[in-house]
Amino acid sequence: MQGNTRRTGIMTDVHRRFLQLLMTHGVLEECDVKRLQKHCYKVHDCNATIEKLEDFINNINSVLESLYIEIKKGVTEDDGRPIYALVNLATTSISKMASDFAENELDLFRKALELIIDSDTGFASSTNILNLVDQLKGKKMRKKEAEHVLQKFVQSKWLIEKEGEFTLHGRAILEMDQYIRETYPDAVKVCNICRSLLIQGQSCETCGIRMHLPCVAKYFQSNSEPHCPHCNDYWPHEVPEVFDPEKERETGMSRSNKRSLRSRQH
Amino acid sequence: MLQKPESGALPIPQAEREMDGSHDGETQPLTASQEMAPSPLLQESPEEDLGAVREEGASEPSLTPKGARALAAKTLARRRACRRLDRTVAELVQFLLLKDRKKSPITRSEMVKYVIGDLKDLFPEIIARAAEHLRYVFGFELKQLDRKHHTYILINKLKPIEHEEEALGGDGPRLGLLMMILGLIYMKGNSAREAQVWAMLRRLGVRPSKYHFLFGYPKRLIMEDFVQLRYLNYRRVPHTNPPECEFSWGPRSNLETSKMKVLGFVAKLHKKEPQHWPVQYREALADEADRARAGASVRARASTHLW
Repeated sequence: MQGNTRRTGIMTDVHRRFLQLLMTHGVLEECDVKRLQKHCYKVHDCNATIEKLEDFINNINSVLESLYIEIKKGVTEDDGRPIYALVNLATTSISKMASDFAENELDLFRKALELIIDSDTGFASSTNILNLVDQLKGKKMRKKEAEHVLQKFVQSKWLIEKEGEFTLHGRAILEMDQYIRETYPDAVKVCNICRSLLIQGQSCETCGIRMHLPCVAKYFQSNSEPHCPHCNDYWPHEVPEVFDPEKERETGMSRSNKRSLRSRQH
Repeated sequence: MLQKPESGALPIPQAEREMDGSHDGETQPLTASQEMAPSPLLQESPEEDLGAVREEGASEPSLTPKGARALAAKTLARRRACRRLDRTVAELVQFLLLKDRKKSPITRSEMVKYVIGDLKDLFPEIIARAAEHLRYVFGFELKQLDRKHHTYILINKLKPIEHEEEALGGDGPRLGLLMMILGLIYMKGNSAREAQVWAMLRRLGVRPSKYHFLFGYPKRLIMEDFVQLRYLNYRRVPHTNPPECEFSWGPRSNLETSKMKVLGFVAKLHKKEPQHWPVQYREALADEADRARAGASVRARASTHLW
């Protein structure tokens, strides 16, 4: 019985170009992914109907299964923008970074990662990270050099910097979810709503449960008196807006500035 | 060093074969095997495997119980070896893709050292299967560059598209916006007041806080992203009341473009020659001379902006 063909999709040049370009960018926002898909159809098969994005990606993922990789969809932690990245399913280390950074640079990343996960806000200050420079494996690194390496991490979308503090880019959260859960099982925080890994979010001051900002937005949507889903205490934080890509918002900037001290990720 | 994956009982898309080391380098087609029962997408568990394999053994009526157990164990070992081979092929594919990003040829010894390990006798088969995946899934052809030194490169089989980034509209429009700002800054003597930047953008129909279908929120893009990525510098102008801020080129802009290039861009916009602005043209020429002198030490860090 051809059981496997049910699962395995067909690759055409449309899908191949899509994959290549997605790989080049590392991570893309949904609006860019849709544009990318349209572009690939235009180049290779301009008369075809563009498949719904979800189906298109599921089709590709069924082929990628045997390679232990998949196109994973996530959501930025600060404003709920959907993002996509090609992630490794099988390995549980930071192997994708391993080929681009030296041993001491990878160790710097690991140190920053640990500080971020241990922190309460999900951010680690530049100072605290740089103070660990003496403990790095591999070739000795000076603080000035480390500053430069941290910028490399920002440019390649593994970290985000905001006001001298660093947190994980959505890409890193997508790619390293398994690694983080396995390496820091005690320190890891989880969202009460979606149960996935949480780096930034809001927490209940009474019982301590945490929620992602976009999860808060969805859960308390049009609820004028939000209460903690766990202990029912009044939810003290400002509830952000649900991300809506269609709406052109005049005051969108000022409101989103107010609700989140941390900048968006993309 | 890529880690070996812990588990992954995924359907094996080809027939079980003898691991006797005889290889003709034939590429494996990605078709489902009719002999293998599809295994569930679950965690690999030895008991389950053994159970399934025992069933296979039990269907052989001529075997003694001892013989059936031996057969079961042998089949199990073969399945495990198969899975391990699949994982190694998958890792090699990823390794080759990552290495190719840096445009450096990959040597056989690197592949053996980082991925293949003690399966190195199966190298011809592993690389053949990896090549097939690269071709079918990604559209890359794995080519051996040098027969003697066993180095390989990936060649893109998809036709190249001119100005693909612009056509995509991903980073393209945003970097186009950046160019406009860099142009304004340069033409105003290497710094431009924030108010001037917004005035120019307003003429293009771009308002700071209004969501734009190409740029997102322009104010965030410019004030945060471009500044964070070091394309722009943003600072308070001293002794201004009410306080004003100004933009200047960030260090990354100096690396990824040049005064001459930006002047050329501005000139094209106005349908004129760069020489039309003698002051800026002279400055750009001097900048080019400086760059030529710096020459070897100016590294092409622009490649990192592809990430």
